[in-house]
Amino acid sequence: MTTKSTTRKPPIPKQDLAAKLFHWVNIVSLFALMGSGLRIYNANPVFGGRGSFSFPVGMTLGVGLAGGRHWHFFFMWFFGLNLLWYGLYIFATKRWKNRYVGSADLKVLREGTNPKRKNYAFHRLVYTSFIPMLLLSLLTGLGMWKPVQFGWIVTLFGSWQTLRTLHFISIPAVLLLLIFHSLLALKVGEWRLVRSIFA
Amino acid sequence: MSNTRRRTFIKLSALGVLLSGCGVGETQQTVNETFHQLSDPLNASFEQLLFSTQRLAPEFPAAQIDRLTPLGNTVEDVIPELDAQEYRLTVGGLVNNPTTLSLEQIQALPHKSQVIRQVCVEGWSKIVQWGGLPLVELLKQVEPTPEARYVFFRSAEGFRDTQGDLYGYYETWDLASCVHPQTLLVYEHNGEPITQENGAPLRVGSPIKLGYKNIKYVQEIMLVNKIPEQVGYWEDEGYEWYGGL
Repeated sequence: MTTKSTTRKPPIPKQDLAAKLFHWVNIVSLFALMGSGLRIYNANPVFGGRGSFSFPVGMTLGVGLAGGRHWHFFFMWFFGLNLLWYGLYIFATKRWKNRYVGSADLKVLREGTNPKRKNYAFHRLVYTSFIPMLLLSLLTGLGMWKPVQFGWIVTLFGSWQTLRTLHFISIPAVLLLLIFHSLLALKVGEWRLVRSIFA
Repeated sequence: MSNTRRRTFIKLSALGVLLSGCGVGETQQTVNETFHQLSDPLNASFEQLLFSTQRLAPEFPAAQIDRLTPLGNTVEDVIPELDAQEYRLTVGGLVNNPTTLSLEQIQALPHKSQVIRQVCVEGWSKIVQWGGLPLVELLKQVEPTPEARYVFFRSAEGFRDTQGDLYGYYETWDLASCVHPQTLLVYEHNGEPITQENGAPLRVGSPIKLGYKNIKYVQEIMLVNKIPEQVGYWEDEGYEWYGGL
């Protein structure tokens, strides 16, 4: 690791091992779930059904529908349990108190004039919105996997098609948030911040 | 680009290749099977843990039945044309009272009608009405022995395999799912006698299992004590066995 950085550069931020581990497991399982999810999508497209637009096989993971499902139901454990333990960790370490978007950030976004502070607040808003988004994908997925055992989830969303649509929308939502999260991390802390969370 | 940065970049790209490509053909198949073998026992145990014969699937008003669209896929080249008069259902294996029943005898047994959601492995679902004999009622009559743990169903449905031989459709269920009150031997669909296409004269219709588990043209039911080598048509093609909902 180089130490010949210019004098004005702050040191590489130190990240908790837990935060690094969470990011690694999350990004790997999310891509595996998205790829295999598209494979499952192709068996019967959510929009229009059989014969409608389906995704190129090169974008998908798993061989056939059975294979796509094996991938999906393999990585769902990593994804779900990763969210669970990280959630517990956030509460146990009281990170939830100051690591996520709060009213102060929202005030800055509305009225603030300092662009650096605004970027910072915007970044907090973006990564915080990952939480409800990922929980929604987990909930809708659970509803479709176990519509009898978790019948209340299907009832909550009203219809099967709503459930399928919302579960599918996780893909563009994750990708969009991922892009904003990465760009804002680069803006706020440059490459060394991005690197610090993975290495 | 600094060295570290380049290294990280290379690591990330390697991961990308691993996730998106996984080589071709055989490698992909191996990865598939590995994931299946690693997760399926866990998934099936978890599903069985969640399952309760007391928990009923939601039922719907008749107005919500999806009438316009045909139900389901078929694998057969040959739709069996079973004569309702000559049809017989054989129930045997690990039971005290093996029996053979005609359709008339089956229809004289307790009848249940339900409007439920049938979910396909592909992801779509349909609201259907099934009417028929709760499988648990039949099981009570034949009295499974204590060793019986699984139920094997044989269909009259046939198709030609790649060698041109006629092959059958079959399924294996766990006993707990068979005694669930909404697991029916169906002879009535959407208020009418079931059509040939949908499995006449008798099929399984249950909201607690994926579509492919709901076997059509059932001719034989056999209670067994372990999962047979050939579990089911789609399972032997690589799909999961439990398929619970």
